[in-house]
Amino acid sequence: MTDTTIAALIQRLRTTTGASDDDLRALEALPYTLRNYRENQSILRDGDRPSECCVIVDGFCVRSKTIEDGKRQILSIHIPGDLPDLQNLHLATMDHDLVALSNCALAFIAHSAIRDLIRSRPTVGDIFWRDTLLDAAVFREWIVNVGQRAAHNRLAHIIVELRERLRMVGRVTGDAFAMPLTQEQIGEAMGVTSVHTNRILRQLRLDGVLEFHRGTVKILNEHKLQELAQFDGRYLHSSPST
Amino acid sequence: MARFHFDIHENDRFIEDEEGRDLDDDEEVRRLALATGASIARDAFVEGSANRIVIDVRKDDAPFMRVAISLSLE
Repeated sequence: MTDTTIAALIQRLRTTTGASDDDLRALEALPYTLRNYRENQSILRDGDRPSECCVIVDGFCVRSKTIEDGKRQILSIHIPGDLPDLQNLHLATMDHDLVALSNCALAFIAHSAIRDLIRSRPTVGDIFWRDTLLDAAVFREWIVNVGQRAAHNRLAHIIVELRERLRMVGRVTGDAFAMPLTQEQIGEAMGVTSVHTNRILRQLRLDGVLEFHRGTVKILNEHKLQELAQFDGRYLHSSPST
Repeated sequence: MARFHFDIHENDRFIEDEEGRDLDDDEEVRRLALATGASIARDAFVEGSANRIVIDVRKDDAPFMRVAISLSLE
């Protein structure tokens, strides 16, 4: 029987990179260690030197950076099928934190096993290269979002992007999907306070755009949401020809 | 530890903080109220949706502090 532990990663790579079945089977066959993390548990800390990469099997993680006065910026939100620390294959030392947002299951694959696979199948290296570039494209959009959009548009954009990415790995049912962030964490992602976040969420509900309750988003009016988010998904390069 | 509510006025629009939050440091509450007022004012002033932002903070349902930020164009 095929091991489906990293199925979300395989599904995403098949859609976004057009990887061959042989390459994907070789990826699926990589040995891994499954570990569980609790909500808010640190996976990697700034300064760590990991010898493995992880695939998110289940749950949500964030990458974040904390400045000296203790303020934290959430840099990216990661979902099942993501490789949130692939960069450490080439950059030995973590320059930010990787934290479990919700209870998480992660599959850890040794750097040495990934290196060996890339040497024997160079097209797997191309897949990872493209995936790393995609990671960078999402970061670029995050900078535009935090730097230029008003806070309510910013939140709408984060929500639409998250939904598009969750949809790619089959994690959206109907109008609802998981976004297991507290109001404080949403604020840390947007660069505003938790009180401002609360105010925006209340306005979105009053305006009939969406509801956010206990880590679940429910879209009430798609048209209004799109108008606020001004989302252009080209930067997600979600098919091999884009 | 006390229960703090941050009620927000944007011109005549009033948004009551029904849930509130538990905070244990009055200085942290002050910083939070100032940062929230400044950040809401920034968006509202630039978009032209309001020219006066008031954050009324209640501590265990008694008035605790008020941050009022007004736009003046001269």
